Amino acid sequence: MDFDILNSAVRIATPLIFAAMGGVVTYQAGMLNIALDGFMIVAAFTAIATAYLTGSLTIALIGAIVASVLLAALMAVFNIRLRANIFIAGTAIIFLGNSLTALLLKGVLGQDGVFTSDRIPNFPVIRVPVVDGIPVLGALLSGHTILVYVAYLSVPLVAWSLYRTRWGLRLRVVGEAPEAAAAVGIDVDKIKFQAMLISGLFCGFAGAYLSLAYVTLFAREMTAERGLIALAAIFFARGNPYRTALVAVLFGGATALSVRLPQVTGLAPQLLQLIPYVVTVLALVIVGWRTTRARNRYGAWRFDLG
Amino acid sequence: MAPESTAEPPRKSTLAAVLAPVVQPLVAILIATCVGGLLVLALGRNPFEVYGILISGSVVGVPNILVTLQMMTPLIFTGLAVAVSFRAGLWNIGVEGQMLVGALLSGIVGYAIHLPWFLHIPLAVLAGFVGGALWAAIPALLRVYLNVNELVVCLMLNPVALLVTGFFASHVLKAPGPTNKLPDIDPSAALPNFSIYSQVNAGLFLALACCIVLALVNARTIRGFEWKLMGLNPRFAYYGGVDVPRRAIGVMMLGGGIAGLAGAEQVLGQYRAFYDNFSPGYGFDGIAVAMLANFDPIGVILAAFLFGALNGGSAVLQMMTGLSKYLVQVLQFITVLVLAAQFSWNWLRRRPVAALAQEPERSAAPDLAHPSGRQA
Repeated sequence: MDFDILNSAVRIATPLIFAAMGGVVTYQAGMLNIALDGFMIVAAFTAIATAYLTGSLTIALIGAIVASVLLAALMAVFNIRLRANIFIAGTAIIFLGNSLTALLLKGVLGQDGVFTSDRIPNFPVIRVPVVDGIPVLGALLSGHTILVYVAYLSVPLVAWSLYRTRWGLRLRVVGEAPEAAAAVGIDVDKIKFQAMLISGLFCGFAGAYLSLAYVTLFAREMTAERGLIALAAIFFARGNPYRTALVAVLFGGATALSVRLPQVTGLAPQLLQLIPYVVTVLALVIVGWRTTRARNRYGAWRFDLG
Repeated sequence: MAPESTAEPPRKSTLAAVLAPVVQPLVAILIATCVGGLLVLALGRNPFEVYGILISGSVVGVPNILVTLQMMTPLIFTGLAVAVSFRAGLWNIGVEGQMLVGALLSGIVGYAIHLPWFLHIPLAVLAGFVGGALWAAIPALLRVYLNVNELVVCLMLNPVALLVTGFFASHVLKAPGPTNKLPDIDPSAALPNFSIYSQVNAGLFLALACCIVLALVNARTIRGFEWKLMGLNPRFAYYGGVDVPRRAIGVMMLGGGIAGLAGAEQVLGQYRAFYDNFSPGYGFDGIAVAMLANFDPIGVILAAFLFGALNGGSAVLQMMTGLSKYLVQVLQFITVLVLAAQFSWNWLRRRPVAALAQEPERSAAPDLAHPSGRQA
């Protein structure tokens, strides 16, 4: 029995955790940000393009974050200032991100579907000294790139900011009762704007991780609905950062298994690629079933949808 | 969003109010064109030249116009599918998946059943409708009975539909040969084609007929009024006696069925077989078409013509400049984004933002299963 699968589950879950943390912040601020995929794909493209042009991973990471945050700012301006419906604006941002990166892939890097190059540096793999030798723990905790550790450490950071700081309290009030928040003098729009920008920040990490660390290439629509899967994890965990991360890791495990299965079973690849989507839809069904029952008992709910 | 823009009662019949439905799409297109032009400039091309190629490649000369008509046919169906559901307040953006499933069923009926043409064509088209409607029933039922966000489910089901239909085309019902496709349909199931220049076919007339029928339904029937009411305020509709959950399922499935017709038209009229991954994203283009048309069925025809022309022109553009067809998609979704914004006339009149913030925001996705519940 090899524990490689644990290692790959941890890696597969990493972009989901980044995206999910971005989604948790907006979720807690009362916004259902479905544009995570759009932020991520733009970040992934910027990361690979800057890494290719400058040869520096640091600049690439910063570039990815800047691009993602800029797109998030655009989303925020349209949703918060111009009162665009968040679902329509989010959908537009997703497809805009996908088509813009596909256009630039051809226009800037001269490739049609996939871009990769030897000139792009790799993130070094960190081997944690003592843990590395221990069988299971070593596969789980050691042998990852720096971004993986950042992802997992961001979970307690987000939880602390949301539940232990004044800003977090305000953000949650804005999410739960915007009128009450406005009544006590909280600038609702400002908090929402900040939440959306933070969402962009995390998606910047997620995108950079996807194109520079998880693989070293950029492909059209390479986020493969990871933003929506992250959103499903958030619904499942009702916006709690720790539980969201746990669900994301479980999704990662399911995907790691599905990557492994074709070698074992010889099933058609399409059926195995279905697994993450089907798992996500089933998770949403369970959430719906649970909240519908809870609502019928208490007669009140937080989001109209969830 | 149309529902929001009509949420306030019309104040005065000022010129602005009369022109609003025409001006807003035009302004959106203008903004998208300018942003797209800057993008083209940044990529080191001459925007005027690029737009010139897009226009001349789509509407100059009979062959190009016929290609545009061919490209606009699926967009009418998908745009109408999105428009019907959005107007009733349901975010059906799973049109791509519904189209694929409809296309698969059409393709199966087209080759597996042997009938005279006057039975075969209607049956194959109907199969497309049923396939799309059933695929749309999944998010609809989840939405109504379990209050699951139909938008997320729709988006998740698009890749699922692609993978499932791909599985059929590459394994279960694969035609002999290297291509992942179903066997060719019988000639008796093929929609007649009119010209050698393009594959524009009888499906175009079916699409136009659907638009006209839905325009009449919207304007003249109780059902059309109920949909509008649901879109504006489902809680009000519920208290007014509309069976909201049932209408929601119905309208989603109708939208899905129309999306399935797009698939039927592609399989029976253009490709003459179901090919794996045949769609370049007609279902997503449909969102832009519906938004530009402000969910009006007749407007859908005009919007589909515009985006069909852009799609037709983008093929020429790709050949001549190497700029990919994604430029057109970028233009489309900038248009959608601009149209979604509530610039409206409030913004022009410089109403203080604080006042806007106090307005109770209409819930974007109302709770259909329990409209009587109170909102937290």
